[in-house]
Amino acid sequence: MNCDEARELITALIDNELSGPERSLIEGHLKECSRCLRVYELERALKKEIHSVGASMSAPAELKRKIIANHGLLPNDSQSSDGWIRIVLPFRPLLRPAFGLALLVIVLLPAIYLLKPQHTRPISVAALEIQQKIMDGELSLRTAKNRNELRDWQIQAVNDEFMPMEYDLSSIRLQPAGGLVQDIDGRKMLVTVYSGNGPSITCFTFLGTEQDAPEDATVFLDQKRNIKFYTFSRNEYNAVLHREGNVLCLLVSDMPAEKLLALARGKAEQA
Amino acid sequence: MARTRKTQDEREKLFREATVHLDHLYRVAFHLAKEPDDAQDLVQETYLRAMSAYEQFTPGTNLKAWLTRILYNFFFDHYRDRKKWISVEDGYVGEKEALDYWEMVPTGNPGPEGHTLTSEMNAKIADALRKLPEDFRGPVVLVDMGDFSYAEAAEVLSCPVGTIRSRISRGRKLLQKYLKGYVGAKEETK
Repeated sequence: MNCDEARELITALIDNELSGPERSLIEGHLKECSRCLRVYELERALKKEIHSVGASMSAPAELKRKIIANHGLLPNDSQSSDGWIRIVLPFRPLLRPAFGLALLVIVLLPAIYLLKPQHTRPISVAALEIQQKIMDGELSLRTAKNRNELRDWQIQAVNDEFMPMEYDLSSIRLQPAGGLVQDIDGRKMLVTVYSGNGPSITCFTFLGTEQDAPEDATVFLDQKRNIKFYTFSRNEYNAVLHREGNVLCLLVSDMPAEKLLALARGKAEQA
Repeated sequence: MARTRKTQDEREKLFREATVHLDHLYRVAFHLAKEPDDAQDLVQETYLRAMSAYEQFTPGTNLKAWLTRILYNFFFDHYRDRKKWISVEDGYVGEKEALDYWEMVPTGNPGPEGHTLTSEMNAKIADALRKLPEDFRGPVVLVDMGDFSYAEAAEVLSCPVGTIRSRISRGRKLLQKYLKGYVGAKEETK
């Protein structure tokens, strides 16, 4: 046996996947070959380290909560088969304070929201729902050979009324990956997704006023250029809205809000 | 009605057992997806798919492997979709050449490791695994982190056992190259 042939057997020996003649063969070789013995020791140390990396890593608490909440069940409950618990089982989430509270929030918040007079969902918040659908693969992006083709198609889709705001995000290795034209409450919205090897950014361009920002948005005033930037978040997404004339630009991403704001400000500066 | 209740009980029982493997699935997803958000989505989707297909699981067989296979299947479908989705722009920097995004962001953002990497060594190994080609990363993660046997890993990845052995061997060789000077340093000084 030469050392090249020994390599895979060393791996299998470390993983306790060898028996019989192969095991004897490699054990014999290791007794005679100090080079392969060294390979064996290093590889065994590596396996141990990889294992310890795994052991030190656990699922985020948020994920655990989401998964348990999705099923409305708790994993550590006793598996009693008593009759009464079977009857209670479907209502068990109500018995848990956390679930009870969550249910209250789920039931009450929409009710309060709906009872609120003259309040409709801002288009900028609806855009985040589009973002979610894109990320979930529910909406397919139109792809194009190049940026211009995509932009021309979008402009045509809104009868030349406005054009998508564009960003040069090559410094963070994001490029336009595709786009959409969406209709929300009769208003057209041009959507361009910038992707790369990190969090993507979606740019929504539409006609409107600053009234389209949600009420809970935080406002940053760029005094030099007299532009207001509205930042807000929904679920895991951060968003920054600003206006240039009668065109609104909304950037949405799961990247940190301050970074997104800096990108929006950078664009406004170029404009 | 009785049948529905029985079905519900079985589903609930399987879910309880499946949650035991949450950390394992997250580790696998994290090293597959490279992004923590993607990893969370992968794991959530795995549970949703597993629970909606719970009748397909044979009690007494390997639940951990079954869940892991669901995760992998979803990942490969999702990954293919995404490849189509992003390969639009001419001159787009392919994944292999692209730098890690977080290395370029000059902020105090901690990057993708939402979990705690307890030491520099852990961080180095996580980075090295991220660099490892996907064909090698899967078997290494399953066997070294997930404690899968070669046969179990082969079943999850739908390939022969011999392929698993060969990929682990080559994968570890590459990892040692990436981690030169880190792993085995203690032994060197002996």
